[in-house]
Amino acid sequence: MSDLDRQIEQLKRCEPLKESEVKALCLKAMEILVEESNVQRVDAPVTICGDIHGQFYDMKELFKVGGDCPKTSYLFLGDFVDRGYYSVETFLLLLALKVRYPDRITLIRGNHESRQITQVYGFYDECLRKYGSVNVWRYCTDIFDYMSLSALIENKVFSVHGGLSPAISTLDQIRTIDRKQEVPHDGAMCDLLWSDPEDIVDGWGLSPRGAGFLFGGSVVTSFNHSNNIDYICRAHQLVMEGYKWMFRNQIVTVWSAPNYCYRCGNVAAILELDENLNKQFRVFDAAPPESRGAPAKNPAPDYFL
Amino acid sequence: MELEVDDKDLKAAGAEILTDGHHGLRIHGWEIVSYKGSILKSSSVITWEEKLETSHLPEMVFGESCLVLKHVISGAKIHFNAFDALTGWKKEALPPVEVPAAAQWKFRSKPFQQVILDYDYTFTTPYCGSETIGLDMEKKDSGEILEASCSPCWEDCEEQIDVVALASKEPILFYDEVVLYEDELADNGVSLLTVKVRVMPSCWFLLLRFWLRVDGVLMRLRDTRMHCAFSDSANPVILRESCWREATFQALATKGYPTDAASYSDPSIISQKLPVIMHKTQKLVVQSNL
Repeated sequence: MSDLDRQIEQLKRCEPLKESEVKALCLKAMEILVEESNVQRVDAPVTICGDIHGQFYDMKELFKVGGDCPKTSYLFLGDFVDRGYYSVETFLLLLALKVRYPDRITLIRGNHESRQITQVYGFYDECLRKYGSVNVWRYCTDIFDYMSLSALIENKVFSVHGGLSPAISTLDQIRTIDRKQEVPHDGAMCDLLWSDPEDIVDGWGLSPRGAGFLFGGSVVTSFNHSNNIDYICRAHQLVMEGYKWMFRNQIVTVWSAPNYCYRCGNVAAILELDENLNKQFRVFDAAPPESRGAPAKNPAPDYFL
Repeated sequence: MELEVDDKDLKAAGAEILTDGHHGLRIHGWEIVSYKGSILKSSSVITWEEKLETSHLPEMVFGESCLVLKHVISGAKIHFNAFDALTGWKKEALPPVEVPAAAQWKFRSKPFQQVILDYDYTFTTPYCGSETIGLDMEKKDSGEILEASCSPCWEDCEEQIDVVALASKEPILFYDEVVLYEDELADNGVSLLTVKVRVMPSCWFLLLRFWLRVDGVLMRLRDTRMHCAFSDSANPVILRESCWREATFQALATKGYPTDAASYSDPSIISQKLPVIMHKTQKLVVQSNL
């Protein structure tokens, strides 16, 4: 058994790698990811997965439902880290699978694959806690900069973490982005990872936060039409039922973190596309609490004041 | 994992744990029950949006979750739920808070016919609990609205909640924390409304907390504490203390406090750093006119 196969087995048991192993794994991953396009081409059949957010044991449920990699080919739409308790093991397992089976798993970048966001929402603290230093966080966040921004399945299904950008009307415009950087606060790359579809606007909307685009049905219609695609598949937003179509089936949100944050009670979904791009959503529940050393459902009493 | 409560403590306090599938207990004429459910399904989200006349709700609305404290003889009920809290949000309708990146965004070229949304995405609410007094089911079902006679009279008062007594380590007979709603502000911070309760042999005490952090911009803490000491009186007195705190990151910086969002993850630790902008204490005498 090669070192890599042994590491994959170890990660599947939710045991993190040594710091030196992480460093070597990231170097190998970098060599693979740097060659990928900003619009990475993906063949069908493929199974598309949304946000995971460090919910390692729930991702194991996902693989139970979808089949093991490499037997099943996967496309993950980003947000591997933050929020959940096992961002380190989750991201490293996906990265190790990427290095071992580069053509059977595609990882694109979500807005949480960023230095700034991970310092606030958990991954940074988890690395520090599990390794006693921030080196592993540095290796991983350096890898984030190399991850592709989107994928195109058989030229027909466009996949991205967040959504569209007013600065982008063609896929070629995405191809020209220089992606090897921290996710910027504005511009096309930021929008692809951050924007959301919105029912109450038809064209473009600006979030009340003063930053962040919302896009309506007519924006999606014209994007799909000019790029000759059937629909857009994206993640980024929690959906109680695991997936949600909008704008007359022109865009679908896929969410793959069941019982999000260990308390929402939502189901998760993955989208299986066969070789003819026929769709099947597979809905699944969170791992049973006893199998994942989960936090108690009821909090420990405290003498709050 | 259920909270381990010593049977002897329960017995000594004259309390009994509810066994009818509810999570709660009966003590000194009070029935205290918590319920925790899932977030709203998409179909319920639509119903709520219609009822609240809004097109935006927090990402996670625990629509069925609640905490209910019922004084059995009088029928007085203090309860906490997301719907009433969001009604308060809709009514207060604060103007939106711009995130730091908004400054840069002003220089971006505007897409054709851009609509700017302007609802309060922080879901700030003045909610301090819901109450019904002596309203029995028949009257409710007949649709007869008895606003005046049913709305309870919280009166401003000088008394304070006895924090020293609450700090004593009496056994906790019942404890729970219920999240009513939560929003991640699209990864720009957190908006969270929760209620915690603990019941001891001498009293019940609860904390309803609205906690908001807009990263790099501001923090807002709106706490409502309620305390009711058990007594033999048929007319128990509930004290309610509301304390609102608020500070901008800029104001914290001038005081020399850190300004990174990661330093402000736990409101109970940092609350003292936020200046008080509103404080009042009120009391409610529950009337059992039998």
